[in-house]
Amino acid sequence: MGLSSTDGAQLCVFDLRRGQQEGQELDKILFFHPTDCPILLQLSVIGLCEGIITFTRIFSPEDDCEVIESDRHSHVFYQAETDIWMVLVVEKTKDSESTLRCAALQGILKESHSLFTMFHGPIRSLLDRKPSAELARGHLHTFITDYLSDFTVGKKLQLPTYRDSLKERGTVQMLTVSREVALEVQSLATVLGSCLGNVACQSIVLFEDLLVSTTLSPDDTLNLYTYAILRLTPRALSNANSWSYLRKGVYVNAGSTSSSSNGAATAERPLQREKLSKGKDGFVAAEFATTEVRGAVPLTPILWFQQAEERMYLCVYQHKSLTILLLIPASSLINGEEGIAHVKRHLLENASENIVMVEQKLARGWGGENAYHVGGYRYLLVDPDRKISRASPPGKVTTLSKDSLLALNRLREEMDLEKSRAKRSDPTRDKDFEVCIRAKNNAWVIAKITRGRELYMALEKGGETLLYASTAVEKFSNRYCEGAFSTD
Amino acid sequence: MQGGLGSAGALSHAYVQHPPLRCDIPDIRGLFYDDANKFLIAPTADRILYWKIALCTPSGPPNSDPVNEGPVLSVRFSLDQKAIGIQRSNREVEFRNRETGEACSNKCRADSETMLGFFWTDCPTCDVIIIKTSGLDLLVYERQSNALRLVESKKFNMSWYLYTHESRLLLLASGMQSTLFTGYQFSAGGIVKLPKFEMIMSTCEANNKPVLAATDVHIVTVYGRIYCLQLDRVNMGLNLYRFYRDAVVQQGTLPIYSSRIAVSAVDNIIMVHQIDAKVVILYDVFMDSFTPISAPLPLLVRGLPSNNRQPGQLADHQSAYGGTIYGEGWNFLIPDLICDSENGLLWKLHLDLEAVAASTSDAPSVLELLQRRKSDLSMVKTLSLAIVRTIILERRPITMVAKAMAVILDSYSCLMKMGGSVSGVRRASEQQQSSGQPFEDSSVILLEPPSRTMIRPVVNTESASGVETRPPQSNSGVEHGIASLAAHVDRTSLNTSSNSDDIINTSRGSQTSDATSERPQALGEDRRPLASGTSIQHGPHGAGVAISPIEMFQSVFVLVEDEMMGDPAYLIAVIMEFLRSMSKAGLKAPPKLYVMMTALLAHSNRYAEIALFVSNKILEPSRELAMQLIELGRHHLLTRKLGVDMLRERCLHDDYVAALLHEGYYLEALRYARKYKVITVQPALFLEKAVAMDSVQNLAAVLSFFSEFTPSFKTTLDYSRYRHILSEMI
Repeated sequence: MGLSSTDGAQLCVFDLRRGQQEGQELDKILFFHPTDCPILLQLSVIGLCEGIITFTRIFSPEDDCEVIESDRHSHVFYQAETDIWMVLVVEKTKDSESTLRCAALQGILKESHSLFTMFHGPIRSLLDRKPSAELARGHLHTFITDYLSDFTVGKKLQLPTYRDSLKERGTVQMLTVSREVALEVQSLATVLGSCLGNVACQSIVLFEDLLVSTTLSPDDTLNLYTYAILRLTPRALSNANSWSYLRKGVYVNAGSTSSSSNGAATAERPLQREKLSKGKDGFVAAEFATTEVRGAVPLTPILWFQQAEERMYLCVYQHKSLTILLLIPASSLINGEEGIAHVKRHLLENASENIVMVEQKLARGWGGENAYHVGGYRYLLVDPDRKISRASPPGKVTTLSKDSLLALNRLREEMDLEKSRAKRSDPTRDKDFEVCIRAKNNAWVIAKITRGRELYMALEKGGETLLYASTAVEKFSNRYCEGAFSTD
Repeated sequence: MQGGLGSAGALSHAYVQHPPLRCDIPDIRGLFYDDANKFLIAPTADRILYWKIALCTPSGPPNSDPVNEGPVLSVRFSLDQKAIGIQRSNREVEFRNRETGEACSNKCRADSETMLGFFWTDCPTCDVIIIKTSGLDLLVYERQSNALRLVESKKFNMSWYLYTHESRLLLLASGMQSTLFTGYQFSAGGIVKLPKFEMIMSTCEANNKPVLAATDVHIVTVYGRIYCLQLDRVNMGLNLYRFYRDAVVQQGTLPIYSSRIAVSAVDNIIMVHQIDAKVVILYDVFMDSFTPISAPLPLLVRGLPSNNRQPGQLADHQSAYGGTIYGEGWNFLIPDLICDSENGLLWKLHLDLEAVAASTSDAPSVLELLQRRKSDLSMVKTLSLAIVRTIILERRPITMVAKAMAVILDSYSCLMKMGGSVSGVRRASEQQQSSGQPFEDSSVILLEPPSRTMIRPVVNTESASGVETRPPQSNSGVEHGIASLAAHVDRTSLNTSSNSDDIINTSRGSQTSDATSERPQALGEDRRPLASGTSIQHGPHGAGVAISPIEMFQSVFVLVEDEMMGDPAYLIAVIMEFLRSMSKAGLKAPPKLYVMMTALLAHSNRYAEIALFVSNKILEPSRELAMQLIELGRHHLLTRKLGVDMLRERCLHDDYVAALLHEGYYLEALRYARKYKVITVQPALFLEKAVAMDSVQNLAAVLSFFSEFTPSFKTTLDYSRYRHILSEMI
């Protein structure tokens, strides 16, 4: 299988229910990156993937194939919807820079799919709506291209490496606030919820790039939070480099998508960065180019929620570092745009005072980018149940030596395996793990999973004994995790 | 349509309670009121009959005291009630020792002067003050020798005077129109002279020099502040002045609808009786708001045995209760009594709080009004709780409900903060009693310079110096409104322990927009108003009105919960606002409230928010809450975990081990039990779990654990039983 693309990575989406007859294989392909990849190569990649999927199902009918490591490539699999697969093919190079972690790559596939679903609904339903797949292909093309633009450096995709081992994609990062402020925020959420009168609006409040409050389910929160960090927060809008795990590299234009062969349905491109801007009234608006529009396009992106199974308008308001995402059920807005204008007016009239006050209080308590730095520790805390993580600030993580990071990456990979093994044996039961590894240069690399919560850390220039390492964990656990990781 | 007087449905905010005190005894020569002792006095030829009307109107026969025969112009008992002063003529006052029966008299010396009146005072330098047209005589009454000694004479020319014991304020009117005033306060704190000031009289063409009569000026004491209401017939208004230590400030004008006016103060509410119109208008000037509490409504007689009667009939005829509302013989006594001299009846005015509360939909301001009341405490409380319940059940806007709850919590937290100062008051009153002072009503005048920015329509000839130099007694402090009883005994303690009314004052400041311009604190910190001593009972009384968070929980949230279950989101938002107000007021919520909140959230499937609120401590951790989370988490693993974690974080070791065990984490539970020495959980439970897991290794491990760490374990039945099971498993 010769994969001789100059691009370091390929991403494809295909549907195993399509093109099952010889000669129609092309029909399977829903999306392929890079777009200019020869069709034959595309077919060969997808053919290989399909072969592997079919083959592994013989041994493991319950669990999907996750990764195939070959000599020069890694194939990372993700079954996004039944029979709809996303595969990321990453080229291996000799240097350790490209040391990747499979779960982190899978995270990208998962994230792009859930964001896509939020905006366009499941791929399957798009396919059902237009069996020619024109609709699905069009949306996937623009959406994933826009999504991947965040990873594009030069002409190459720069995917997470071992240097990102203290980051966890697919989690929300929360701002810690005092009880008093939390109550103020909640009071604001009440006011926001009443913006539509009798129908309650859901809302998410962010400060800087951190989540402050949400009334949504964890999944929807995660998706919206991810979207906000990617495109809506002041940082994202100003195009500055986020210190969040989600954004990296320098932004590169998604390219001339309007000239794509699929052509249709390019109107809604919520991830198209240059179309989003904050207006004078404080609201973030998407100004879709009218030339691309067929028919009326609402000024606000419309979201589709899995949990509520309801379409919502997204209304984004920003005050200084505070970003408010207000969700208005589409069903309760009879006259679309006018209704939204009414909600906006209501928000400005009733919530402005609260918003200013909450922003002030949050800003006063805000410790800056390094607020969650813990001296001596480089850590990552994950609560997969609540989809929440907290980590050392990236600026501090970069001070770790390459060896420590590599060791940590290895360790995380091991833990990923352990976790999936434990999950297979008894999915309802949390299994505790603890690993402390003495790495090069007197460093300790530690992973600990207790009652479902995960802690990864690297300690450099530490003591020599295991006791030192476990004491360090104990201290950290007691001071910052309310004893969640303390030894029983 | 207004119902008949006495009928239950009659619309009215003020009423008098039937039956009144009957004082129509034959042979009496008029009725007098001693406002210092609150005695209603009826002299006969050789005796003095008197009723004590301190708190409730007595029903029995009057007390009586023999006196010498002679005419009686006025009667006042001394403050210790051991002597009686009787003004016999406009030249003579007779003083009689009630124990010895000895009498002495004080007469005018010069022919040119006339005696206008006299009163007893608790001021430290003198006991009796006699007001004459030429000035004041300050006298000391020596009971042993039954003699009067002149301490000081102050020379003035005056046309009439006004004094109320409640305010300790003496106003002396002079000038062509009697509109120039000099004021003194003779309080236990000493004598304070008020600056001269002039009241405003509008003129009309018919009379460009109207003369102000004593009956047109009313001194009113509410919230321990002293106000003066002056009738301006031409303008049809009541000018309201407030007394400060070195200035008298006109604060507003109340409209009137009658050329005859009477003023009462009931529970710090000013009642302006529009006698001709036969209606009464209520004002609550606490926040310096001079808009009426409610529309003008008639005064009601309650508890009449007769049935429905038209108001017209009552006005025209003698009715069943033997009098006419606002009849000719009605005298309004300070502060809240009405003496019907024609029929010999004494009524006490009451406020119908229920009716006041029912007449407006602005719940927060009604609650503020209620929380400031000091009479009928249990009713105030019930009413307040009912109002909060109603607005929740009616699903009024959250902001309004939040405001209403904040009012209640604020007044409660003020009371809590006052804890220290209440004891201070007690100490002070003990001292007072031991030093032989009167049982109540010791008063202090607190005057202080108004800020320069103040608009002062009243000419104040002496205030220029007062602005610059504060009187020595004046303290810079936070208190504004009320001086408490403690003041004269221990002034420093008073001034540091702020009065509760003042705290309300300050904390509500932001909520009231209309009153800020004239609010005392807006005028500079050294402003101190003239205060009377009537706020003494505030502390203990406040305790009755204030509603604790627990009472709010039990009498509001628990009661409305069932009805709100259909859509709990509203109640959740209300509770959230309640928690916010409580956090602001520094109060702790009862754990049961969090339990309820969690149940409501779970009921509406908002588990994610439960997790959020637990993590940011909006739901404060407690054992009750942890148990609730575990209970609710039966169908939601994450919530259950939250509960179990809370047990661990709260160091509820026994419960934590039990919870772990229940979830099947028996090895973890065992480790934890060993670390925290939990011995309450039976070994059999651990062993049972190990057997259930069908793990030989683990069963063996648990067995050996107990054998090793529990000395007597090997002798128990459990040991042999599980040992047997183990051997069979192998």
